[in-house]
Amino acid sequence: MTSQLQRQGSAAAVQGTGYTGDQGLPRLRRAPSSQSYQNGPQFNWSPASAGREKAEEGAVEPPKSLRSLPIPMALKRAICQVQQMHVPVLSSLQSWKRSKAKSLSRVRSYIGGFLNYITLWRKSLNKIGGNFGGGVQSYFLFLRFLVVLNFLSFMLIAGFVLIPSIVFRSVASGPMNITGPAECLQYDPNPQGLVKFHNYFLDLLTGTGFMESSYLFYGYYNNTMVAGSDFSYNIPLAYLFTAIFYFAFCLLCITARMGTAFRVAVATGGGAIGSYSRIVFTGWDFGCLGDRAMKLKQKNIIYQLQVDLEEERIKNKAATLTLGQKIFLYSLRIFLSLVAFGLIIAAFFSIFAATNFSQGKTGEVGVLGLFFEYLPSIVITAGNFVVPLLCDQIALLERYDPSITVIVALLRSVFLRMVSLSVLLFTLWNQITCKQRVSAEDCTLCHYNYKSYPCWETRVGQEMYKLALFDLIITIAMLVLVEFPRRMVVDGSSSKLAQWVGRQEFQVPANVLGLVYGQTVVWTGALFCPLLPVINTLKFVIVFYCKKITLFYNCRPATKTFRSTWATAFFLLVLLFGWSLGLLVLIYSMAQIHPSMSCGPFRSLISMWTIVPNSFYNLSQTSQDFLFYLGSQRFSIPLFLFFSVVMCYFIALASVHGKSVNLLKTQLKLEARDKQFLVKQIEELSRTLGVAR
Amino acid sequence: MGNKQTTFRDEQFEAYQDCTFFTRKEILRLHGRYRELAPHLVPLDYTNDPDIKLPLTLLINMPELKENPFRDRIVQTFSEDGQGNLSFNDFVDMFSALCESSSRELKTIYAFKIYDFNRDNFICKEDMEKTINKLTKGELTPEEVTLVCDKAIEEADLDGDSKLSFADFENMISKAPDFLSTFHVRI
Repeated sequence: MTSQLQRQGSAAAVQGTGYTGDQGLPRLRRAPSSQSYQNGPQFNWSPASAGREKAEEGAVEPPKSLRSLPIPMALKRAICQVQQMHVPVLSSLQSWKRSKAKSLSRVRSYIGGFLNYITLWRKSLNKIGGNFGGGVQSYFLFLRFLVVLNFLSFMLIAGFVLIPSIVFRSVASGPMNITGPAECLQYDPNPQGLVKFHNYFLDLLTGTGFMESSYLFYGYYNNTMVAGSDFSYNIPLAYLFTAIFYFAFCLLCITARMGTAFRVAVATGGGAIGSYSRIVFTGWDFGCLGDRAMKLKQKNIIYQLQVDLEEERIKNKAATLTLGQKIFLYSLRIFLSLVAFGLIIAAFFSIFAATNFSQGKTGEVGVLGLFFEYLPSIVITAGNFVVPLLCDQIALLERYDPSITVIVALLRSVFLRMVSLSVLLFTLWNQITCKQRVSAEDCTLCHYNYKSYPCWETRVGQEMYKLALFDLIITIAMLVLVEFPRRMVVDGSSSKLAQWVGRQEFQVPANVLGLVYGQTVVWTGALFCPLLPVINTLKFVIVFYCKKITLFYNCRPATKTFRSTWATAFFLLVLLFGWSLGLLVLIYSMAQIHPSMSCGPFRSLISMWTIVPNSFYNLSQTSQDFLFYLGSQRFSIPLFLFFSVVMCYFIALASVHGKSVNLLKTQLKLEARDKQFLVKQIEELSRTLGVAR
Repeated sequence: MGNKQTTFRDEQFEAYQDCTFFTRKEILRLHGRYRELAPHLVPLDYTNDPDIKLPLTLLINMPELKENPFRDRIVQTFSEDGQGNLSFNDFVDMFSALCESSSRELKTIYAFKIYDFNRDNFICKEDMEKTINKLTKGELTPEEVTLVCDKAIEEADLDGDSKLSFADFENMISKAPDFLSTFHVRI
């Protein structure tokens, strides 16, 4: 049997035509018309034969190309055996290379299998994708990416800042003596006297008391500079550089991940054209499991087709609008955009007022004190909940196309979330540097408001800590108090209202914006609260399980799909906005504001950045000269020119590729017309010959 | 209970690993799934490459394919005789072509074959209408079906013969970003 297949294999190889040719191939196709077999999916047999030739030259191509051949398995195995039996005459070097390459590919497949095994939550993600589709799965993939990113950042911070601090605190003498006005140096976060038990719980939630004097916040770190005979460690410098490398590391991870997403998005041209054919041929998710999911998938496709037909009708109608109607529509849109903008500004103002109020009320005890502490978080969360709802309604009134409505609503939400956080930070900064206080003499002594903020970095860290914690509490509270009861009401009662409200859908964009907001809080707070990444890792793990539970118990699959390829690229772009906000905060804190004199690793310096020039002059002369050279014009200008040349090359390459793609497309059309012409000629000729006979 | 019975020889494993996108463990798992469709027909010991084919009716009841409107066409496309009877080789071939790591070109070729109901290497209007009816299970009116059909062919047809050849289909699929993730059966 093997030899028969062998003969068939070589016979087909000799043929070298499309696989739908009927002799010698085991897969039978009934009566392919002579005209149409050229249109069948062609594949080139030459990879197989070229593989054999290449094997004689010593390359290792056969395994890879075999997998992608659209021929039956039995034939593939036959080809495999034939190739193995072909003993090429190789030199010893070439055969060694071949065997090495083969073992390398085996090792790679083992590593791939191992990585697959230890990948976090792989089975859960598969189950989610099978039941709810790619859009929802992309949210959970994004969440997993953030968990891994935060964990790796924590490893970085722990290795360079946390562990040396712990080691040197127990080994070295105390913090170095610093000079300065006595009032600026007073800072004692430890609670005085007898502490009630419930205060421990309140301290856990607000980051004060026993939590303030712990490694969690900036204020606890010392400015120890250990200098042994052959070992020296400068904690302030390590702290600064770790913060910078943390941001660089996050940027690297995000751009690497964005690269793959954007490559797919650009290659497919955004998918703007061909919506009907796309829905029909790629709409059905073949990996869909479950009867309920299947019915909803069907409804989904029907809905999409109907929406497209409806959009077509609307577009036809819109083209026939009179001038007066058009003016009315545009002025309506401008008016509603202003209304939405006004709502967002109102939200900002309330955050500003709440932050000022909360900072003025520090020192209150008990539950009321807790409420005042959390007031900014509460206002931000309320704003993030209410304003997008109103914006959605406004967007509906504006009568855009359905797809543009989604994008507009999304952009407004992103704007709201990012800028509300920056409003909070701006108000904090104003208070720390007394920009808007009447009594500016609070700041003249120590260059910052030492009366209200003896250790202002810790206070900022505490605000970020509270924001992160409040986010988690709200997520869990929503799960328990809103989502489960909603499902129980909808499933239990049979009233028309309950059926109309229905089970909730999993809103992917809103949830992703929540994740981005949480990560942005971590980035802005990481300089002041070094353990925030690990807290965020735990928080995101809890969020994963909460969202998974709510997805499977409370949600129904969406009737509107969310395109997953475009979505991933968009999420990462929004994450990059958050990152740049964190970077802005980092730069401003490092360069502009005077560090606290009573706490922290930078207590003796004018600004955090001055530690770098100070330590720079401790380096050896050659290192200093080298670094000076790197920063001088003699180095940077040629480097800049080099990068410009490289960029021009890539731009030219991209435009050439684009042009050749267009050329190939026109060639394709011309080929088809040629073929039709030739076929017509053949028919005419055969007719005239037939008539003549 | 006695010796561990081997299912495949090492050369068979190597051949399967070279010809498909699956690892050793996955091939064994696939064999288990194939066997549980008809335990009395399919032997545990495949070292002699027994020539056993399972009929269409058994295969379309697999949970991965049960809800798929195109399950008949999928099984028929991958069968050697075109009637839907799959040997284990064809079974592995099918899931390898539909798996996550399969190449885009391979998936496009097989997708074209699946949607080509009358196997004339063109997706003509009747094929399209059958596809849409299977997708929507008669929820759309016949006029809507015809409208969608005409629009879809109009969008994808490049050479103007009002049916889709493989080149047209491939061009259209290359612009669809979700094709790789939707044309994927998880097993």
